[in-house]
Amino acid sequence: MKPDSKLAQKIEKGEFVLTAELLPQAQTDGQAVLAVSKALSGNGIAAVNVADNHYGIVMSSMAASAALTRDGVEPVFQMVTRDRNRIALQSDLMGAAFLGIKNVLCLTGYHQSLTGNEASANVFDIDSIQLIALVKRMRDEGCLLEGTAFTGEFGMLIGAVANPFMTPLELNMIRLAKKVEAGADFIQTHAIFDIEKFEAWMTAACREGITEKAAILAGVMPLDSADEAKKHGDMFTDFVIPDNVLERLEGAGNAEAQKQEGLAIFAETVQKLKTIKGLRGIHILSGGKETRIPELLAAVELK
Amino acid sequence: MIVAERKCVPELLDIIKDLQNLLVLGCGTCVTVCLAGGEREVGIIASALRMTTKLNDLKINVEELTIERQCDNVFIEQAAEAIERNDAVLSLGCGAGVQAIAERYPEKPVYAGLNTTFIGILEERGVWTEKCAACGNCVLHNFGGICPVTRCAKHLLNGPCGGSKEDRCEVHPDRECAWQLIYQRLKNIGQLDRLKKITPPKNWKSSLAGGYRTIIREDHRI
Repeated sequence: MKPDSKLAQKIEKGEFVLTAELLPQAQTDGQAVLAVSKALSGNGIAAVNVADNHYGIVMSSMAASAALTRDGVEPVFQMVTRDRNRIALQSDLMGAAFLGIKNVLCLTGYHQSLTGNEASANVFDIDSIQLIALVKRMRDEGCLLEGTAFTGEFGMLIGAVANPFMTPLELNMIRLAKKVEAGADFIQTHAIFDIEKFEAWMTAACREGITEKAAILAGVMPLDSADEAKKHGDMFTDFVIPDNVLERLEGAGNAEAQKQEGLAIFAETVQKLKTIKGLRGIHILSGGKETRIPELLAAVELK
Repeated sequence: MIVAERKCVPELLDIIKDLQNLLVLGCGTCVTVCLAGGEREVGIIASALRMTTKLNDLKINVEELTIERQCDNVFIEQAAEAIERNDAVLSLGCGAGVQAIAERYPEKPVYAGLNTTFIGILEERGVWTEKCAACGNCVLHNFGGICPVTRCAKHLLNGPCGGSKEDRCEVHPDRECAWQLIYQRLKNIGQLDRLKKITPPKNWKSSLAGGYRTIIREDHRI
């Protein structure tokens, strides 16, 4: 079945796509979801990613995605393979389709020890590339991994993630090419703070023919302070924040000044990225700062 | 080999505190090599238990014995008398050894004195690392002889995660990323193409997902 989400249509038309991100919270009243729905009414965001227990245990990404759908905001339902085996993943994928979810982002997820759950067993029954292939099979062949046919519509647009700063580049490209070969329709990248390195990665992706097969959306994260940047960099190896970015934030002065500088860095990054050949959109890593999305959009004149 | 480490003395004391006569039983195979449960460690643990029981006003007689192999009935026989005359056995064998003794002596309490940890090798003096998860369906030929099931914290089969660094794993700053090693190794032996093929989901039935495993060799049965 052909993907028919709004995001799929925008990508197909070749529009420059904007996506944002919601981090559900540890809550049952859905305030975080509601805040995003309000912040996003009437602007140019095509879809909002809903993170799957990204930094810790929170409301399920499927529930939060369904809530966004109900509010008229199109979600990109994130699924990590860390916590669910193939049985649960396929079951939730059918459930997601039933709830009106039309985009799925396939990830392996941070190791559980990085989410404050060191004592937890992990699953990793399948990896992100195998999950992509599984979703593609469900969509294109209407059957589950073991061949069982299911009924009903399943027009998922399939997304995957790439870290442009993972080296060596040859290994990075092998992994990216496999994600696309497995069936990824679009790729959202990790946060970009180093444009030159990202450009080199994009050049390689173009050379490998990746950009012709999948739409690459560049991940941009607004930083509020040097402390926040350092904390991310220390905790998560996928955050590569160059010294000049840290120095700019530190040099800005007090908390408010650092926040403004972070916004300026965000805006500059987006403007520079927009000129890079082959790039199909921007993924605003607004997770945790959802209510600031209008301000972020205004800063980069993307509204 | 099977690598194990000793339980701490307070935990052992809690396990044995109600006994009068205890046999500390070592094993001469893997756990001797990894310095956890051989004759030398039996002596050390027995002495530590004598001291700690005395300090806690407990009267427990501690006997020491080490046999060649606790996971083999032929050798367990050599400990028969010592096992009979004690209230319980504190086995310094691996988990297989502990259970072999317990199965052989249904009336006798048998306790584990070690934490059996992994199948691995001695990396350097005093350092052991895990190399095999005994998944029952070896895929080492595809990965340059480096096991991603064991050595990648996420058991990934199609390349590194986004947090991989050339000098470290996402999870452990002091460990190399298994996938960086696999990539280098495949490149060195001219087999990088293996990495480009998508590996389908693994069948975990041969692993612990199918319950405990048995091997039956009909050609060796009488």
